[in-house]
Amino acid sequence: MQASPAGRARVRGNVAKAFKYGLKGITGFLEPAERELLRSLINDVISMLEPEEREGQDPLAALIGLDMEVAVPTDRAVKRLLPNVMKNDDGASLEFRQLTERSLRETKIGALRAAALDLDKDEIVLTADGARHWSMALNDVRLVLAERLDIQDEEDAEHVHLMQDWSQAEDVESYLALVYNFATWLQESLVQAMLQSLDTSR
Amino acid sequence: MTLSVALGPDTQEGTRTGTAESTDFLAAPDIPWNLVIWNDPVNLMSYVSYVFQSYFGYPESKANKLMMEVHKKGRSIVASGSKEQVERHAVAMHGFGLWATVEKASGGSGGNAGKSGGPGQGKGKRG
Repeated sequence: MQASPAGRARVRGNVAKAFKYGLKGITGFLEPAERELLRSLINDVISMLEPEEREGQDPLAALIGLDMEVAVPTDRAVKRLLPNVMKNDDGASLEFRQLTERSLRETKIGALRAAALDLDKDEIVLTADGARHWSMALNDVRLVLAERLDIQDEEDAEHVHLMQDWSQAEDVESYLALVYNFATWLQESLVQAMLQSLDTSR
Repeated sequence: MTLSVALGPDTQEGTRTGTAESTDFLAAPDIPWNLVIWNDPVNLMSYVSYVFQSYFGYPESKANKLMMEVHKKGRSIVASGSKEQVERHAVAMHGFGLWATVEKASGGSGGNAGKSGGPGQGKGKRG
């Protein structure tokens, strides 16, 4: 797991907190460039999660979330988003996928779409559900970026975390690392606000 | 949609109230299935603790203890119950992006999880 990231990770200069908890609930403010970046990341993850339409698929089965032809995802990032439910039983895991994977994809896409909609406004004001959707969406974005960056252990994660200066973005990998750190910083800021709101409601 | 496992406000409420109702079930010696959360280098410690608090209704101290166990030992059993219950939790955890699996409890050495029982019992959405 990753501990709270320290320091700046904004796309440009401004180190103010992205999200905070206050009288209006959880509010966030993002620069236009940050919103643009997030929107494209979110859309990428949505496109990875959208189930492919297959010929001859039973429409009723699809409607209730069944997918008898489902297979373990070949893309590592998609597999991380939709993992096997049993460690050492591929058969049982696949059976479980047939019953649940489609609706899990829909849950994730729903959260990602909800977050993308909020990006249309300058100030983001989140309900408890909205905040949950945002945290799930940011988490999925980070999981996908982490696979692309080949973050396999905490040492890899620390290495990526060292990349903080946008003027150093020279290649795809360093750019992805900066984007990953930005998403991490944003999620941490949101989760801290969500934890505060949990404290207050207890 | 009897098979829906989507997270909704009603699921959340269900887990909260379920925790209180499940005490008699906890005393059962043979709770057969565990929900396991695995460590990964990406998920934030704060987020994992938030998920344990908000979804299972665990107090902060317990959520943090389980989170640290995942972090340090590589895995932790965070809930137990019937196969159907832990499977439902697993899908919810996958929704949050946590790496969760279910496994049959082996020989009663299940560690801490027996005490926690499975929240959300009796609120199953699957028909």
